[in-house]
Amino acid sequence: MLIIDIIRVALKSLAGNRLRSFLSMLGIIIGVAAVIAVVAISSGAEQQILDSLNNLGTNMITISHGMTRGTGGRISQSTTDLFTYEMADQIKALCPDLNNIAPYVDGSGLLVYNDTNVQGRVRATTPEFFEMVDLDLAQGRMFSEADLEESRLVVILGSEVATDLFGETNPIGQEIKITRGNYKFSLNVIGVFESKGQVMFTNYDSQVFLPVTTWMNRLQSIKYVNGFSAQARSNEVAEIAVAQVEYFFYQRYKDLDKVNVTSQTEMLSMASDFANTFKILLGGIASIALLVGGIGIMNITLVSVTERTREIGIRKALGAKRRVILFQFLIESCTVSLFGGLLGLGFGTVVAMLVSHLGGWPFQVTAFSVAIAMGFSMMIGLFFGIYPASRAARLDPVDALSYE
Amino acid sequence: MIQLQDVSKIYQMGQVTVEALKGVSVTVEKGDFVAIMGPSGSGKSTMMNIIGCLDRPSKGMYKINGTNVEKLSDNQLAELRNKEIGFVFQQFHLLPRISLAQNVELPLIYAGVSSKERHHRAQEALELVGLSDRAHHKSNEISGGQRQRAAIARALINKPSIILADEPTGNLDTKTGEMIMSLLIDLNNLGNTIVLVTHDPEIAAYAKRVVRLRDGLINSDEVNPVPRVVGGGE
Repeated sequence: MLIIDIIRVALKSLAGNRLRSFLSMLGIIIGVAAVIAVVAISSGAEQQILDSLNNLGTNMITISHGMTRGTGGRISQSTTDLFTYEMADQIKALCPDLNNIAPYVDGSGLLVYNDTNVQGRVRATTPEFFEMVDLDLAQGRMFSEADLEESRLVVILGSEVATDLFGETNPIGQEIKITRGNYKFSLNVIGVFESKGQVMFTNYDSQVFLPVTTWMNRLQSIKYVNGFSAQARSNEVAEIAVAQVEYFFYQRYKDLDKVNVTSQTEMLSMASDFANTFKILLGGIASIALLVGGIGIMNITLVSVTERTREIGIRKALGAKRRVILFQFLIESCTVSLFGGLLGLGFGTVVAMLVSHLGGWPFQVTAFSVAIAMGFSMMIGLFFGIYPASRAARLDPVDALSYE
Repeated sequence: MIQLQDVSKIYQMGQVTVEALKGVSVTVEKGDFVAIMGPSGSGKSTMMNIIGCLDRPSKGMYKINGTNVEKLSDNQLAELRNKEIGFVFQQFHLLPRISLAQNVELPLIYAGVSSKERHHRAQEALELVGLSDRAHHKSNEISGGQRQRAAIARALINKPSIILADEPTGNLDTKTGEMIMSLLIDLNNLGNTIVLVTHDPEIAAYAKRVVRLRDGLINSDEVNPVPRVVGGGE
């Protein structure tokens, strides 16, 4: 008997029992839809996280304090006094795989213009920093060599700060006051950055930027910077660059715990790891739905075998071999699960599209997840179909014919 | 030609052993029309199952066209049923969800005949039993007599050595039953071998030869000198 005839027979009997076929498909539909949706949604979310991490600048390396351990009521100087302004050039000279490096100090102060004030977060750094994180000027100019050398009292505003303080007024050339403790400093606004929006936990729009030397020499009087932002030449050499920086500090301090050198690649892979864990977890739950769906198929196929005992008897009397009966029921269960898989694929895709749309991240249904879901549902049809089908195939024709 | 030699069938039902056939020998030549008669419990159903290759004898030998059934596997038995035996059942046993033509085709599907030839032969067989205009109806859309005729068409289609009819008129009224018997007689006249299993002497009277079973043994095996003719009974 040709396989195509068996398939035809199987399809016919499924079509004759549409409601039941659909109900037994339901478990598979839900399972496959869940798998497709979960994978698509988490891939989309992962993609969004990766995109925004890259928005913070590509191949970034952050150099900061390692342990912050102290005695008494203060942080030990040995853990904070590590990085100097001049070190930036030394690191760059000794680490060939670094493209760029900028020292930074973070602080805060009350910013005042006329009678408007804003509590501002301050990052004091060098022009290289803005190159690395792709922060462009909307108007005005960047810090000059002279600004840095002479520790001039100039400031570039984030776009939000500019709007908050100045509203419609052009801020360039205006003086704002920054209050730190009992001291007030007057800063000349030389530029405003373009808006970049919230990127992960960072929002440059709500910050103001000073030359790092101005902060160190005038506003706070410190000899050390908080750390460095650096950039590797490429993603491939990021890890090498990290090692070079670590080696630099190891030579200096003989203690790697003091310095924390993190590459963005690590952060990216951490984000991926997190997304993968999430995927496995949700995928596991979805697989349970598939399993339950499979058991449903087995149940329905068993009922169908019992109900059609007489039909099996007739077919056997007319010359159907065991194999033919086995195939007939296997093909029925596989068709149910494959069909369910297809419906689930459609359903899951729609759900994933909706959720991605709401979440505002890219929509991703990969060929891989489709293949997995379809393959899995096919396997389930086979696996859970074998027991009922072999029961049907083993029926004794005399008993089957007289079954009421 | 079919040959039964000292055929016994023993069933084990829990603690009780039931000997349904106790050494039966019958030979049916090609072209014959034999009725196997007997009251219920006489072993005629068991005998029918053995002749139909649905079951194997416990003892003795059964040969169909020279093939000894004893040594065959389940699959070989299925093949034998497909080729050599055309079943006509009391309950018709048509599949309800498919059309008559598709029902009639079934043995050919299992024989691996191409779909084009199947359609052609099914149409021929339905024509022979006078149902060619009902080919695309389902079995629940036609009368009992028509169902039995369709079943006969199905029995015929793979040109079996014997047509094995088990109480073919049992579910039909007298008049329809007569029409079925008349069809069987026609088929016999065309050269088909027919084995008819029945408890009804009136039906058995149509056969050329009557074998009577009682308690698993052959009681009598006689040639019917004047087989009954349809419409000439009364």
